[in-house]
Amino acid sequence: MDEVKNKNKEVNLEQIISKYRPIIGFRVKRSLGHSNPDWEDVVNEIILNVLEKIKKGEFRGESSIGTFIYIITSRRIVDYIRRKSKVLRHMPEPSPLPAPYEQIENKERAELIARAIKKLKPKYREILYLYYYRDMTREEVAQKLGISPRRVSERVNYSQKLLRKILKK
Amino acid sequence: MKKCEYEDLIDDYLRNKLSEADTKKFEEHYFNCSSCFQKMTEREELLAVIKNKGYEIFQNEFLTEETKRSPWYEPLISFLTPRQWALAAVSAALILVVVLAVIPIMKSSSPQFFINEDLVRGQSITLISPVIDIKNVPSEFKWKNLGKDVEYKIYIYNDKLLWTATTKQNSITLPDEVKKLMTSDQKYSWQVKAFSPEGGLIAVSSRVQFKITSTK
Repeated sequence: MDEVKNKNKEVNLEQIISKYRPIIGFRVKRSLGHSNPDWEDVVNEIILNVLEKIKKGEFRGESSIGTFIYIITSRRIVDYIRRKSKVLRHMPEPSPLPAPYEQIENKERAELIARAIKKLKPKYREILYLYYYRDMTREEVAQKLGISPRRVSERVNYSQKLLRKILKK
Repeated sequence: MKKCEYEDLIDDYLRNKLSEADTKKFEEHYFNCSSCFQKMTEREELLAVIKNKGYEIFQNEFLTEETKRSPWYEPLISFLTPRQWALAAVSAALILVVVLAVIPIMKSSSPQFFINEDLVRGQSITLISPVIDIKNVPSEFKWKNLGKDVEYKIYIYNDKLLWTATTKQNSITLPDEVKKLMTSDQKYSWQVKAFSPEGGLIAVSSRVQFKITSTK
């Protein structure tokens, strides 16, 4: 009986880890900077920490498992930054804001996406240009094009729908 | 798939436009919402491509912007909304109508003068003599006739009122007692006012100065 219970627990833990690894990874990379090579180590640290706590019975289901893991992730990131700051005491503080567009991970895929955007009708390409490339707010784009902010969001979403269609071909 | 209410925050989160509080909320959220997480990773990829390859992707958009450059008056015009411009135009038109209607009314009114700082409405009386410097003490003061049944009052000053008299004619002779008072090299001035039979002021002359260059 205990064996079965343990097996289930293991499977569950595996599932949890595989589900949350990418999310933890996303969060860590964003906080540390995409070019920071430490990110993988930090992710592994976090996962070990999560497993430890679950095994110790520290997760009692008071929050969701997602929130539980989120809290551990956030704490570990803060710890890492503090550690780094201590070492680099005489150097400038690491920037708290992540640089979101640092590197394209997959160059070939990037090429495909770029081509797909070029294939869009001007109306839909323009909205991506203003909203993402020029980094304008919904309201600014709305004013420039003479449409409502809601329409702007709709058009942005639709452009991405079209892109997905093109990329699936 | 039902839309998650946090979905609208994805773009602002990726572009670092969320407040600190909203950022934390959203970060916790995508640990719990696979739909949002998936959409977010897709969009992050798109954003990375756009930012890194934008220069080659948006060639057409750059060209359109070059040619369609905002005219110099654009910031001035966009200062008000079209609706506000319409209201402003209507208000301006109304004011213009009122002003144009009032002007003719004002014009038809008779000329006004300030006499001793009192605003007087009326015609102007033209003084005939003396209006320039004279050799002798003047005997007669003349002015332009205004019409029948007009009573004129004359005032003669040096630095204060010297003499005043009333007549129905358009001239008056200076009495000897007054003549004796007038000396050369003194500045004098005189003025005439016209009154209706009822006693209302109908016209005023300007005050004219003269000097007597010698006395007999």
